[in-house]
Amino acid sequence: MATIYVGVGEYAVSNKADDVIKTFALGSCVGVIVLAADIKAAGLLHVALPDSSINKKRMEERPGMFADSGIPLLINEMKKLGYNGNGRMVVKLAGGAAIMDPNNTFNIGKRNLLAVKKILWQYKLGPRAEHVGDSISRTVTVNVNTGRVFLSSPGRGEWEL
Amino acid sequence: MGTLIKNDSVAVRIREIPMLSAVVSRLLEITSNEDHSINDVSRIVENDTFLTSRILRIANSAAFSPIEPIQTVSKAVSYLGEKMLIGIAIGSGSGKVFRKPLEGYESGVGELWEHSLRTAIASREISNLVKKDSISDIAFTAGLLHDVGKSVISEFLEGNTRDLTSLCDQGVAEDFLAAEKTMTGTDHSEVGYQLAQHWRLPAALSEVIRYHHHPAQADEGHRTLVYAVHLGDIIAMMGGAGTGADSFAYKIDENYDKYIGISKEDLALVLLKVEVEFSKTKKFVFGSEEV
Repeated sequence: MATIYVGVGEYAVSNKADDVIKTFALGSCVGVIVLAADIKAAGLLHVALPDSSINKKRMEERPGMFADSGIPLLINEMKKLGYNGNGRMVVKLAGGAAIMDPNNTFNIGKRNLLAVKKILWQYKLGPRAEHVGDSISRTVTVNVNTGRVFLSSPGRGEWEL
Repeated sequence: MGTLIKNDSVAVRIREIPMLSAVVSRLLEITSNEDHSINDVSRIVENDTFLTSRILRIANSAAFSPIEPIQTVSKAVSYLGEKMLIGIAIGSGSGKVFRKPLEGYESGVGELWEHSLRTAIASREISNLVKKDSISDIAFTAGLLHDVGKSVISEFLEGNTRDLTSLCDQGVAEDFLAAEKTMTGTDHSEVGYQLAQHWRLPAALSEVIRYHHHPAQADEGHRTLVYAVHLGDIIAMMGGAGTGADSFAYKIDENYDKYIGISKEDLALVLLKVEVEFSKTKKFVFGSEEV
């Protein structure tokens, strides 16, 4: 079994049955999980910020950092594995933890989630399940063979999404 | 509740922690003063053979690739920058404190140092947004040290992490600090403050350690700095580098904007900067890697 680790601003897809895709400690970042049962493939993207226009250089270096540049790449990678773009792909979201800031500045988690959903919608995709917001950090594990997704958080154990 | 720490067991643990070396103490003291020069810093480093050889090695390493070999301490200090030097000095002397796992927080080996270093970078970037005060040097050091109390209190929390998170999740405790207080009678910022006293840290640093979750309570002279680290700490958690169970289990002080003006764009840029700088610096600070 191979475990593929996805860092901040990175993404990975796989159609190898014994692969596991994992990303650690999503804070205000959002994990976008895509599952295509018909081609037995899964993918995971770790988005840190909503909009790449804030820094073009970083967008070119690491496009997965931003919702608007990362999601198209994730979907493109799934297409290389056989996804035909018909919107028949299960999407799950995790992360986007909230900081209660009356000035709204620090609520990046919420802005990330809104941006991710907006971009997904352009590809006829929407989340089937999500575990988002609240004040916790989340680690995501995706089992490529079964398409099952597990979340964990220190002091709170593990549960299925 | 309130019984996990008995009598003076924290005080005993703190007494067992080695003192900071003379060179580190002196560096912290000098650099917490705005008027110091790079020569003051170099002179202190030159008195310590180990630190001198280490920083010369790092300055000449492939990662920093100087055009010409750097042969003097003063050149190495100006080339690496004072903040990097402080990180290396603290790490050389007290790496153990930062690298051990925090079982009481369900946090693995190295997570405290990653959180501390990211907080340091974020605090420095935040303090650069403050025009009137020059606090960015001390903000980096303060960010490195802000959670040092966790390395002491963690063992007393071990086995009770779920009770602590439950207290927060059910709203019984207003934050993780309050949950620690409920279960032990003290908390990581208070214990960190005791360690700061033991290490005889300058007042600016011990104020940050004591009040980084409640900056409004800090002494007015250091309050902007404490707010900078308060926000830096939150930014490190946002980027996914907390210390386990307590990540996000704190509240932002609503009055931060009276001390630090930060826009949504500023914050996004700080988050990006922390990612980039952390990858560059992590090998050298806390001295875990050979160069």
